[in-house]
Amino acid sequence: MPDKFFTKYPNSTLLSKKIKHYLLAIIIVSVTALLCIPLSNTQSYYVVSFILLFVVSFLATIKGIGPVLVAATLSALVWNFFFIPPHYTFHIEKAEDILMFGMFFIIAFLNGILTTRVRRQEQLAREREKRTNALFQLTKELSKANGIEEATKVATDNIKLYFKLEAYIVLQNGENVLQPFKQIKEDKTLNEREYEIAMHAFEKLEMAGQFSGISSAHEKTFYPMKGTRLNPGVIVVKQNDELDEVQKILWDTFLTQISNALEREFLGELAQKVRFLDESDRLYRTLFNSISHELRIPVSTIMGASDTIISSNSSKDVQSELCHEIFTASLRLNRLIENLLNMSRLESGHFSVRLDWYDMNDLINKITKDLSEELSAYHFKVVIDDEMPLVRIDFGLIEQVLYNLLINSTQYAPDSTEIALSAKHENENLIIEITDEGPGFPETELKNVFMKFFKVNSRKAGGLGLGLSIVKGFIEAHNGTIDVSNRENGGAKFTIQIPSEKPEIKKQEDTIHE
Amino acid sequence: MNENEKILIIDDELQIRRLLEITLSASGYKIIQSVNGKEALVDAATHNPSLIILDLGLPDIDGQDILKKLREWFTKPIIILSVRDSEDEIINALDNGANDYLTKPFRSGELLARIRAAIRSIENTSDTATLSFESITIDLQSHTVKKNNELLKLTATEFSILSLLAKNRGRVLTHQYILKEIWGHGYSNQTQYLRVFVAQLRKKIEDNPSKPTLLITESGIGYRFAE
Repeated sequence: MPDKFFTKYPNSTLLSKKIKHYLLAIIIVSVTALLCIPLSNTQSYYVVSFILLFVVSFLATIKGIGPVLVAATLSALVWNFFFIPPHYTFHIEKAEDILMFGMFFIIAFLNGILTTRVRRQEQLAREREKRTNALFQLTKELSKANGIEEATKVATDNIKLYFKLEAYIVLQNGENVLQPFKQIKEDKTLNEREYEIAMHAFEKLEMAGQFSGISSAHEKTFYPMKGTRLNPGVIVVKQNDELDEVQKILWDTFLTQISNALEREFLGELAQKVRFLDESDRLYRTLFNSISHELRIPVSTIMGASDTIISSNSSKDVQSELCHEIFTASLRLNRLIENLLNMSRLESGHFSVRLDWYDMNDLINKITKDLSEELSAYHFKVVIDDEMPLVRIDFGLIEQVLYNLLINSTQYAPDSTEIALSAKHENENLIIEITDEGPGFPETELKNVFMKFFKVNSRKAGGLGLGLSIVKGFIEAHNGTIDVSNRENGGAKFTIQIPSEKPEIKKQEDTIHE
Repeated sequence: MNENEKILIIDDELQIRRLLEITLSASGYKIIQSVNGKEALVDAATHNPSLIILDLGLPDIDGQDILKKLREWFTKPIIILSVRDSEDEIINALDNGANDYLTKPFRSGELLARIRAAIRSIENTSDTATLSFESITIDLQSHTVKKNNELLKLTATEFSILSLLAKNRGRVLTHQYILKEIWGHGYSNQTQYLRVFVAQLRKKIEDNPSKPTLLITESGIGYRFAE
């Protein structure tokens, strides 16, 4: 990473650094001249001129234009003074030597200027490349960021990396108002006065704080982020020096990129909210429609049947039959209410699983008794493993699970077929299977069976399509799983697995009474 | 039948009170009705009913508080009839002294059976040394249990559980209550012990242990000895 990119030195050190460059140039030229003194007596002072030219070009590749010009001038003078005869004077005798001296001077100058220019251009290109890389990196990371929070982090991280500045981003709250001060106060990053400046920058969309026209006495600078459809917020940085031209360009590009990314995230969130509302609206309507249907049918039965009993002199037999209908309708209503309550318990998340040790026999007895009427038309078979240990479950929830599954079977399976319930304990798991000999589920629909409001045409009327999704919810609340499959010879099969260790029971002293 | 049994119905819903009045009158009970907690406390004191049916969701005082107040002096059965169906609520009510708990909607047949059982349990609390139910006879003095006149081999714990439930015949005893009574306070969460002993007991006293008729499970709440 470009560590020294944009590194700045305070002015005093910068000055001494410059002086050092000049001194170094002078020293190098002087040392070269000294080393060439053995050649001064011969006629080979031309060689010395080449050596000096070489040194000047060499200096040009590593030093700035100033030191190089000094080196060029110095080497010309040194060459003249020490090497061109007569020695130790600036006087030149031969006309060709005057020509040589002039040419040496020009070549050294041009050489120095051209080389430094090339080097400077190369340096600029390198800086440009670093800037491009920085920008590329920022854009890449911003596009990968998922959500406002992540994008904000990417932005502050990159600002820190390339500008060596601690940045803090104050976002708007999603309704084009800056997030309230109370939220920021907890971070202790901004004080109230700074928040006011940020607010100003956000509302007026102009830079504020240090190095700006507004509240410039402040030590932090506030840059508003501008978007095309909404303005995401304000970037606050504490910078020691004003950014120079080149940095300013990069900073503005950073700002634009960050603004765009955050704007995108804000808009995305907004769109998601709208989608969510649409979805819940749709669910609400489905629920409302099917509830009114589900309520009307039994209520109509109750109204019609009781009205007949009250107003007509129907026979005892008819009356008793009608009463039976009323009773059935009330059971159906009760089931509906039960499912709605359970669904809302699940949806609200405000329900707890109360695990305790239970005897599966008790549970299945209870279910069998409660459903005796519904199951009377079927061959209901129960198989509980003889070695069945106690299981750790929420009795009420699992009761509801089995109740819903068995009711489901009675709704689809034809009369006089077998509905079987089995329970066993295997590998620290309670395994319950419920099978029927009904039509099963269409293969393509198997994956949707546990979805809310899922219904296939039932042999008997009724149901909101909530029963099985409640089953799944309750089983998952036990950290268990439920699977559905079609049996080979027709019918559906539900398999429940609930983790349940065997109970720890210490042997107790107990005497037998005779 | 039931000529002298007065039942106090405490419920703010007119329709429920009507239904109860019709159903219970048809079975020969005399009915008194209260529509709120304050009235109920007065009615209970003035009429001294044989049994109280109490709704928990009353407009003025919470049913659980009325239950506690009543239990300061009222010793006859109280049956809770409420829409509140959470296990916590039920266990609370039983701990506060309710004999039984039925959730609305309820089947009237079920309610009548519970009422009969509750009243009978009061009649049976005379300190008899032996309790008998169908084929089972429990001798509390000699700590013996006979089934069809044959002596059963019960362990001390099994006998304690059986006699505790039998003495409270018809009444739901919560798991915590039974565990505390038999094993002491430290065990009130160790339901697994209770389950194991109940399973053993059933094997000895029930005709068909997998379909018990004497030792009845009240789902998630506790146990009840058959009416």
